[in-house]
Parts: sequence; structure tokens; C-alpha cells
Amino acid sequence: MGLIVVLLFAWMLVIAFLAFLACTFEDLESDIGSQSNPNSQVQLAAQIGQVNRFFNKAISGEPLSNAMYCATAGTIAWLLLLKLEPLVPGEEWKAAVLAIPIGVAVAAAINIIFSMTAHCGRTAAQKRFEQPIYLDVLYGHLLPIATHAFMTTFFITCIAYIQCNLGTLSGNPALNHPFALPLLGFIWGITVGAIGSSTGDVHYGAEREFQDRPFGEGKRVVYHGKITRYADCGVRTQKDIAGFCAKFGGPITGMTFGLIILFENWRSLVGMQLGGYLPNLSASAGNSSVTWAIVMGLIIVITLAVVNYVFVRWVRKKCGPFVGV
Amino acid sequence: MEPILIILWVVVGGLLASLGAHLLPVGGAPAAMGTATGIATGTVQIMLGAAMTGLFTAASAATFTDSLLLVALSGAIGATVMICVVMLMANILYTFGCGIVPVSGRVDVDPLTKEPQAPYKTPQTDGHGVPNCVYVSGMLGGFVGGFGGALMYFALLNYADFTAGTAAIGSLSIFVPNAIIAAYNIRGTIEGFHDPKFKRLPFAMVTSLVVSLLCGILVVIASYLTVGGTM
Repeated sequence: MGLIVVLLFAWMLVIAFLAFLACTFEDLESDIGSQSNPNSQVQLAAQIGQVNRFFNKAISGEPLSNAMYCATAGTIAWLLLLKLEPLVPGEEWKAAVLAIPIGVAVAAAINIIFSMTAHCGRTAAQKRFEQPIYLDVLYGHLLPIATHAFMTTFFITCIAYIQCNLGTLSGNPALNHPFALPLLGFIWGITVGAIGSSTGDVHYGAEREFQDRPFGEGKRVVYHGKITRYADCGVRTQKDIAGFCAKFGGPITGMTFGLIILFENWRSLVGMQLGGYLPNLSASAGNSSVTWAIVMGLIIVITLAVVNYVFVRWVRKKCGPFVGV
Repeated sequence: MEPILIILWVVVGGLLASLGAHLLPVGGAPAAMGTATGIATGTVQIMLGAAMTGLFTAASAATFTDSLLLVALSGAIGATVMICVVMLMANILYTFGCGIVPVSGRVDVDPLTKEPQAPYKTPQTDGHGVPNCVYVSGMLGGFVGGFGGALMYFALLNYADFTAGTAAIGSLSIFVPNAIIAAYNIRGTIEGFHDPKFKRLPFAMVTSLVVSLLCGILVVIASYLTVGGTM
């Protein structure tokens, strides 16, 4: 079977969709566990006498923890694939159906261990501020966290699997990505964490953690640590926060990663097509393909900059100068 | 194996990585509460995320071109696309999710668009969101950092004869300390080239030069030890 260009583009769209889902779940997972930057407020709350029922698991920065989960899942899946693929010649996808979920399940189990020790360790260290370890908070949050982490790691491992077999799936193994499955998992783990940390946490940190403060302004330094501890009905826990952030922060974060994956892969494939590299992979067309991909990338970058410029101008005109006190 | 070229490109790549990290608008934890301008995460984290995206594209490009410039530019554009999308979506989230207007906390007037900043800023904050001058600085930071990362990848792949996977891990390992040096120099938050903290850049460049030189020498030794390109 020769290379089918349409299949290449179809797989690219599948990857972009999986990326959207991966980053959405990554953001919600970090919100449920209060990982990353807004965790500073949960940490500070107890220290200024605001005893709370928030889950407090700052394992590390999100990129590093997600890289760990995805690289673990990728490595186990990769080893299983090496063993299982020879058992089903011609139907290698059957090996992937078994190997990827097993690898991801192990990563989710590691996530549970880290979540539990991180929460207990951090909260125990706040004993002098009389912050108790609520056992129902501990037990109640572990499964939602692990489930969201499972989804994130699963989608990232699927993306890595598709990318390192992209050529084979489309008809020409020469187009497979040069990196192995665990390395691709590591790369996208870092990136998904960086995006979840930089984009999604804003909705949790600037809005949900300070919901009883005025809407429409940056949260002032005097508010820091005084987080909103009561929900619509009773005392707030992180489970309420996941439902809130799933309405806006999560999908926007997912769209960020999805757009990045879409733009990156799309410009590379369009470059290959315009440069004449596809479908015969002629070596002489390599330079022109990369040049076209770079030009397409430049156009995307300039377009994004113009969109941001127009957007910022529109927002400032719409909202006007600060009128509070 | 070309030792001089390896050391040269590793040093240049390391310096560019450090420069790129200084140009990125890093808001850190305060930015997640809308208390500081920039991207709401740490220097190393966002720089790594951008460089990794660039490295992915650069590695693909390196399979069908031998041009150093084209591979490095592929990485640079990849990192720039990543950082541009992140900054734009962060602005959308700040605006529609939290009702916050993008504004710089370090300058009263945007140095590029001449838009006033101070009247839009919430009192007791250091700015919020990603205004236009910060956005442009972030674009430059992503481009420079991605270029540096892909440059090191190309040097390790073609001059030190590492395999693709080892070259990626090697270039990442040289990239991280350079970004960490920048993080130390920045000490928390920076808005970009117009930030007064940017003037500290020379200190970081000298440190990066020393670290990258050491890394370059180690790469040469590693490639000597594995003659035959099996690494």
C-alpha cells in the first residue's frame, strides 16, 4: 500500500481532538487536586487562620508531574507492545488496545500514591496552624483525581502511539516520527502540563478561589490566602471546583493544546504537500517542504499576533479604565 | 564528529535558551490570581513547554533536511506558535472567565502601541493578563528559545552522531540548566524586554556561557566514548 495523503491529514485531526481532551482533563485534574500555582493560596489560607477543606497536592510543577505519568505510561506500553506485537502479526492494533490502558493504569496508580502522600504531608505540616487532615476529603478526592489523570495520560499515550506509527498507519513507515513512544509521551507530558498550568489555572486561581470578591479585577495582594471556603450549599471542597472549571477553564485549556497540536502538525503536512515531498517522499523536496512549513508557521504566528492585538484593543474599549476603589 | 562545531552550537544554543527565557512574560503564581502580568507559570516550565513543542517539529524536519538553519527555524517557529496560542487563550480566559483587562504593571504606557496602562490596572496588583508589548516580547522569547533548543538538537544529532532520542534528551538536558539560570536571575516574575529586570541579562549570559561550554565539552567526550554512533 502506498502513502495515502488523506489518511495523514485524518490522523492529524484525530491527534488534535485527542489533544483537546487531554488538556481539558489535565486542567480539571490539577483543579481538583489544587496543584500548581493557585495552590499557593490554599497553602497560605491555613497559615492565616482560614481552616479549609481543600485538597492540597502540590506534587511538583504540572509539566514535570505530567511528564512523569506520561513517560511511565509510555514506557510500560512500549515494553508491552514489544512483547505483544509479535503475537498478533498483521493485527498490531490488538496489542495496542491492551498495552496502552495497562501502561496508563500504572501511571494512574502512581498518581494516587503521590496525591495521597503530597496531601497528607503538606496538611500535616500545617498542624501548628490547626489545619486538620479531613479523612473524607482525602478519600473522596483520590478517585476523581486518578480518573482525570487516567484520561489525560491515556490521550497523551494515544497521541504518542499514533505519532510514532503515523507513517505505518498511513501507508509508508518512513514517515513515522523518529522519537520512541516514551520520549513522545515525555514531550507531550511536559507541554500539556505547561499549558494546563499557564492557561487553565487562571480560571481556578483568579475566579473560583476568590468568588466572594468583586468580579472584573485582578485579585489584590490583601485578598491573598483569604480563599472562598463556602459553596452554594455547605462547605466547599475541590469537587465543586471541578464542576465550575469544567464549564469554561477546562475547555479553553483543552482548546489551547488542541490548537497547538493542530497548527504544528497541519503546517508540517501542508509544507510537505506544497514542497512536493508527499506522496513519494522524494529526498530532493526535503528543503522546500521545510521552508514551506516555516512560511506557514510564520503566517500562523503573525495572524495570532494580529488577533491578540485586536482582541486586547476591543476588551480595553469595551471594559474601560478601572473604576473601583 | 566535529568537536569545535559541537561546542560552538551548544554554547550558542545555551545562550539563546537563556535569552529566550528572559524575554518570556513569566507571571508565576501571582499571575494565576491576576495579581501579576504574564503567563501564569514558572520560567522553566513555560520555556520547556515551548521548546519541547519546537523540538518535536525540528526532529521531524531533521529527518528530511540536512540544513542546520532550516531545522533550527522549524524549532523556533514551533515554539513561537505554542507560546502565541497560550498567550492569546490566556487573554481570552482572563477576559471572559475573570473579567480582567490585559494591562502591564511595569510601564505606564505600552512602549509599542502607546496605549495607556496605569488607568486600567487594579490597585494593589502588578498588572494582569498579556497586553500587546508583553505579547510581542513573548513571541520573541519563544522564537529565540526554540531556535536555541533546535540548534543544540541538530548539533548533537549530526555532529556528535547521537541517535534522535539521545540527541533530544541531551539538548533538553542542556536547555534546562540555562532556563533555570534565567529563572534565578528573574526572581519570580518578568514582563519582557521592557521590564527593568531585563537589565540583569548580562549576568545570566555569562553564567550560561560557562555552563553551556561545560556541557559542550561533556557532549564531545560522550561522543568520543561512543565512536560509531551507537549512542
